[in-house]
Amino acid sequence: MIAALALAAGIVLGLILRPTVPTWLEPYLPIAVVAALDAVFGGLRARLDGIFDAKVFVVSFISNVTVAALIVFLGDKLGVGSQLSTAVVVVLGIRIFGNAAAIRRHLFRA
Amino acid sequence: MTASGDKSQPDAVRLLVDLVNDHLDPGYAAAAERRGPDPEQRWYDNVAVIIGCALVGFVLIVAYITTHRGAPEAAKVHDRLVDRVRSAQDTANDLSNRVNELQGRLDRAQAQVLSPTGDLAKSLDLARLQAGLTAVSGPGVVVTLREPSGPSSTPTTGRGGTTGIGSTNILTDRDVRSVVNELWHDGAEAISVNDVRLTPTSAIRFAGEAVLVDFQPITSPYHVAAIGDADLLATNFAQSAVASRYQTLTGVEGIGFSFADESNLSLPASQQVRVRYATVPTQRKQGHR
Repeated sequence: MIAALALAAGIVLGLILRPTVPTWLEPYLPIAVVAALDAVFGGLRARLDGIFDAKVFVVSFISNVTVAALIVFLGDKLGVGSQLSTAVVVVLGIRIFGNAAAIRRHLFRA
Repeated sequence: MTASGDKSQPDAVRLLVDLVNDHLDPGYAAAAERRGPDPEQRWYDNVAVIIGCALVGFVLIVAYITTHRGAPEAAKVHDRLVDRVRSAQDTANDLSNRVNELQGRLDRAQAQVLSPTGDLAKSLDLARLQAGLTAVSGPGVVVTLREPSGPSSTPTTGRGGTTGIGSTNILTDRDVRSVVNELWHDGAEAISVNDVRLTPTSAIRFAGEAVLVDFQPITSPYHVAAIGDADLLATNFAQSAVASRYQTLTGVEGIGFSFADESNLSLPASQQVRVRYATVPTQRKQGHR
């Protein structure tokens, strides 16, 4: 319940502030999105598994975004930025789908 | 690690198996193990959840806004430009209708003043005919030039405005011009290109990807209609170098080229002949000489 409210609060905050993303930050936005989705699905699954831990949730989200951005930043400097960003999206995407499947199994027992 | 406890696998294989099977962050399991089966509530649990969820929502909405901020703006600019072009076209049409209407009134006024059988009226009629100011009809030939259909005529992908002139069009103003000049040469008395009447001051030019006849853009297929002695025109044109050149190009480039004589063609009047530099010497000047 608190989580849903906080999610809504974040959305409203973004809508009110409407921050302009600086150009240098724009390439990292898709990665941040995928990492955020991964955190949401991971946290939801952990809650359903009964092992949710708030600290792990926040730390894993922030560190995932940071590490993913760092990898892509490094890749950009070495000329493989787009490939590495694809790799990040693929790895996190697999996790998202796996967690979504686990949530589905929890909810529908199917 | 839960799913892939098999230690006999090599590390690389286990990494892939983990990737596919072990979706949950191992941190959750580790934390649960560390804190035991019935952990007490810590003071920062709710705060962390709130911060984390708000952060997630913020990131998602910022990404959404950033993605959608650019796209509608481009569409808006495009729509505005289209609107401006449309309204400019409407204005041009209105103005040309007005020109025609005023021209009609002028003609009627002239007819009232000049006696219809007089020499002045006759020479005026002839001059207007030759200047292309009246609609005419009569026998003649129609020459049709057509861009080849298929991939060679589709614009290349790329940023707007970067396509070079003529890189997508095989037929240009030069082709239309050479056909028109050949028809004049063959004895045509009046010519129109895609229903734009040519006058002694008409220019056939090329701008962007369109041929302009008297600044009116026309596109393929180009119908050049010429009034004159149909047999003579057709024979002369068939024997001309221009005709044989486009016959050859039909085979090589795939353009469409055909001509046929017509028993009754009607050509519209030209909208305007504006003489900017040439003037008729006034009577007084002649008298002084």
